[in-house]
Amino acid sequence: MTEGTKTTIEREPAAGDGAARERLRDALVAVAGGDRAAFESLYKATSAKLFGVCLRILQKRSDAEDVLQETYVAIWHKAGLFDAERASPITWLAMIARNKAIDRARAGADQRTASIDLAAGVDDPAAGPATTAESSDSGRRLALCLETLEARQRALIRTAFFDGMTYENLAARSGAPLGSVKSWIRRGLQKLKACLEQ
Amino acid sequence: MSGPDDIAATPPDHGSLAAEYVLGVLDAPRRREVEARIARDRAFAREVGEWQARLAPLVAEIAPVDPPLYLWPRVRNAVFGVERRGRLDDVSLWRWLTAGAGAVAAAALVFAFVSTRPPPVPTVVAPFVAAINLDDGKPAFVATIDRARGTMIVMPIAAVIPAEKVPELWLIPPGDKPHSLGVVDVAHPVVVSIPAALRDAVTLQAAVAISVEPRGGSPTGQPTGPVIAKGGIASL
Repeated sequence: MTEGTKTTIEREPAAGDGAARERLRDALVAVAGGDRAAFESLYKATSAKLFGVCLRILQKRSDAEDVLQETYVAIWHKAGLFDAERASPITWLAMIARNKAIDRARAGADQRTASIDLAAGVDDPAAGPATTAESSDSGRRLALCLETLEARQRALIRTAFFDGMTYENLAARSGAPLGSVKSWIRRGLQKLKACLEQ
Repeated sequence: MSGPDDIAATPPDHGSLAAEYVLGVLDAPRRREVEARIARDRAFAREVGEWQARLAPLVAEIAPVDPPLYLWPRVRNAVFGVERRGRLDDVSLWRWLTAGAGAVAAAALVFAFVSTRPPPVPTVVAPFVAAINLDDGKPAFVATIDRARGTMIVMPIAAVIPAEKVPELWLIPPGDKPHSLGVVDVAHPVVVSIPAALRDAVTLQAAVAISVEPRGGSPTGQPTGPVIAKGGIASL
């Protein structure tokens, strides 16, 4: 790995860590100005998280690697569009990775067949308890509002988010009719929005 | 199937479409439509942004996974352009080359084809290659050996070594001790010049290996750290 990075950014800034958030924001501003060392720091600080995002959506590791590369190319060119008033840096970066991973997933057939248990909550098996999301205020509120949904709504929304799956795939994997899956998810999202806006 | 839940025939409103896009449930054509709309409809774009913010805390639940070390050089080359080393830095080309028997067979066919044509030069020396594999059989490095020039191109595939250490390449002729071919690199291909005295020892019976050494290479002339990868030499 290339050395000589002058700035260092702490790995894996927690959503609630204001200092880490500020460092990432500063790095993004520097990247927007064409600072290569800042770009390398940003890569080192965030690539493991973004690779995790890609690997959840794409089954083939080589696809996830290609998408991670595309993601950072996009970050280099689009860093100037980052608006610190409207998004946290890690959210902005993760959404770029998710969008690219979902587009790549749509380009191929989804091979996943593991069934979705509509009666159970869905956790990322690799991440341990859901409490990791609750380390920030917004995470706590989202977790509380997800709890107010029916179990099947919650299971489908969480699976859709983590795996980036289409309605059709979710229906196939949960064994529920497509129309029901769409309606559960849409209603769940409406209820989630209402709860979060309280 | 019918029931009280089957209201899906109702087209989704604004907010629901933005949410569905962010959640990731739309198919490719719908995603393109939504993206076109984001570009021209500011209110809709704001809704998408709001949904991203709503669902973003879920990202914290996704476990980080370290990408392989060769990805940063790929990203850097894709962003800043390939510097100095030209196309050799294209790891994907090399991964393709090492992708397995199919690629080797294809390369062999090319050679067979070339060698059946009227020879423009008297001899064609088929290159030697070596997959330098980890204990689990996965390639850590791949070497191609140009015997006419006495050079070896050593390409990192998936080698990981501690930051303060370097990988050193060794040639091990049958029944002999290891001979250093110099320090290589986990992030870049390196062209190794094979010392004249060792060129005749590069045979299909010899092996190559990578050991982990202090910066600058082994101080003793023999491997001092663990041998992390090794492999035999084959002819294409």
